[in-house]
Amino acid sequence: MMFMSILGYLFLFDKTISSSASSSALSASGTHGWRTPVDCVKASDMCNQSPQCSWRYRIMRQCLVGRDRNTMLASKDCQDALEVLQESPLYDCRCKRGMKKELQCLQNYWSIHMGLTEGEEFYETSPYEPMTIQHSDVFRLASIISGIDSTTAKGNQCPDQSKPCNSCLDAAKACNLNDTCKKQRSYYISTCNKEMPGQSVAPSATRAEPCNRKRCHKALRQFFDRVQTEYSYRMLFCPCQDTACAERRRQTIVPSCAFEEKVKPNCLELRKTCRSDPLCRSRLADFHMNCQTTPHSITNCPNENYQACLASYIGLIGSDMTPNYVDASHTNITISPWCTCRGSGNQEEECEKFLRDFRENTCLRNSIQAFGYGPETDSFPKPVPVTPSLSPDVELVSLSEPSVNHNDIKPGDDACVFSTCANLENGPKCNLSNDYMCKAEQTLMERTTRKDLQEEVRSFGARLNPWAAVVCLPYVLVRLAL
Amino acid sequence: RRTKRARKGLKPCSLREAVVSVSELGLGYNSDETLLFRYCSGRCFTHRRNYDVSLEHMKRTGALGLGRQDRARHSPCCRPTTYEDDVSFLDNNNKYYTIHQVSARECGCV
Repeated sequence: MMFMSILGYLFLFDKTISSSASSSALSASGTHGWRTPVDCVKASDMCNQSPQCSWRYRIMRQCLVGRDRNTMLASKDCQDALEVLQESPLYDCRCKRGMKKELQCLQNYWSIHMGLTEGEEFYETSPYEPMTIQHSDVFRLASIISGIDSTTAKGNQCPDQSKPCNSCLDAAKACNLNDTCKKQRSYYISTCNKEMPGQSVAPSATRAEPCNRKRCHKALRQFFDRVQTEYSYRMLFCPCQDTACAERRRQTIVPSCAFEEKVKPNCLELRKTCRSDPLCRSRLADFHMNCQTTPHSITNCPNENYQACLASYIGLIGSDMTPNYVDASHTNITISPWCTCRGSGNQEEECEKFLRDFRENTCLRNSIQAFGYGPETDSFPKPVPVTPSLSPDVELVSLSEPSVNHNDIKPGDDACVFSTCANLENGPKCNLSNDYMCKAEQTLMERTTRKDLQEEVRSFGARLNPWAAVVCLPYVLVRLAL
Repeated sequence: RRTKRARKGLKPCSLREAVVSVSELGLGYNSDETLLFRYCSGRCFTHRRNYDVSLEHMKRTGALGLGRQDRARHSPCCRPTTYEDDVSFLDNNNKYYTIHQVSARECGCV
């Protein structure tokens, strides 16, 4: 129904264009603010129907090729063409993610917009239509699928206590039980994991490439295009409480092929490579637009839209600018493309700024965490700090100084304590006597230092209702004091 | 007792599925990842051809000169006719593997 009306609309639109004089047609589509932007394939077709526009459009494309583009662009012919085209539908056309002829659409977009920007801008306008889907829908979906109601058990992703908690493993399970997800996942894994054949002919100088990176990237893009987001998002943004889980999360995109390379290029060089490709350039511009840290918003995201940020982050996967988790840390999420700011010369500052948008991006980090722990994480009180005021009967010393022998805490004990905490609403299940061990969880916890424990408590506080964290603390503290 | 067995035997050859971990497949992989294992099971009695009837008869009458321990089957078997494509997974040492034809897609009495 919707589709039909859009078709009809476009048809009418076409009619008006072709029936009116070509010059008025040019300005007609550009000036009306109420009109939703036409897609650039359509806009290009419309332009080609008018002799004046198509002529300018051809000139413009010639202006943008060539090596010294800037001198070309400065010429009168190019400037004139640009002026006319700014009035054409091509000027404010947009593309849809995953649309038919997406690449063609993006090429058309940049054929105008590359001329508009004086030199290279740090942030470019995204060619994609703004995302209007309410992010809460997907988040709610995610929590339904993971089997929890987002209003009750926030972040408690592991109801099964017989096994070490690994929500990334659960995400892989969910994917394997869905035929499309399993098929697409197996496809990109086998593509990315395949060693390139035929390289062994010359074994001396160059080592054979570990994989066909281009095909791997394509398979990854296909995975994220075709698989329902509730499966793909869950695999990439699963919340982790230990290294095994975080390592699995890091491995999701097969980083040995899709992410890492023998050399780490300079980030600005990488950006240059990315900008020479219409798809990568578009995805990067989209990422910058939707994941830009916005200090004055609650979520630190533009329009408070987590969903848009995550979607544009995923859009970068499978491009030259493919980002990933840099390590298997479960407490501190750091994301980066495969590049460094070494060798930036006088552009060091710009490079650092570029890299910071990945590594120290609060919006992106909040989005990822919100996906894992439910949408209201940020309206939560901050994680309860471990201070003596909360539990006056226990000395702070026992937390900050290793005065007690480490061996007093068996690996199984803290696992047990945390299980108890995680399960507070059902009442403690673990017996806190000394001889008790959670057998199934012994392998999971190797923590021996208090610092780790402290961190665990802190991260736990973030995931629990505040009162639960307060009730939980004495257990941990008592355990430590023993 | 007989009716019970007869009823049980009526279940025709079809695709069944079970949720198992990769380790449980017994292929030597160590991975906690779970997948859907599809297999074929069920009776194939209605699919007997003249071949099967004749073979059964001749085995019984000794017309083929075979011993009692002979394994020639006189009824079709429920077996996969096509298999699923590759299945990939990450093992517990964070290495990816792909296994071929590990799960059935269609079954038939062959």
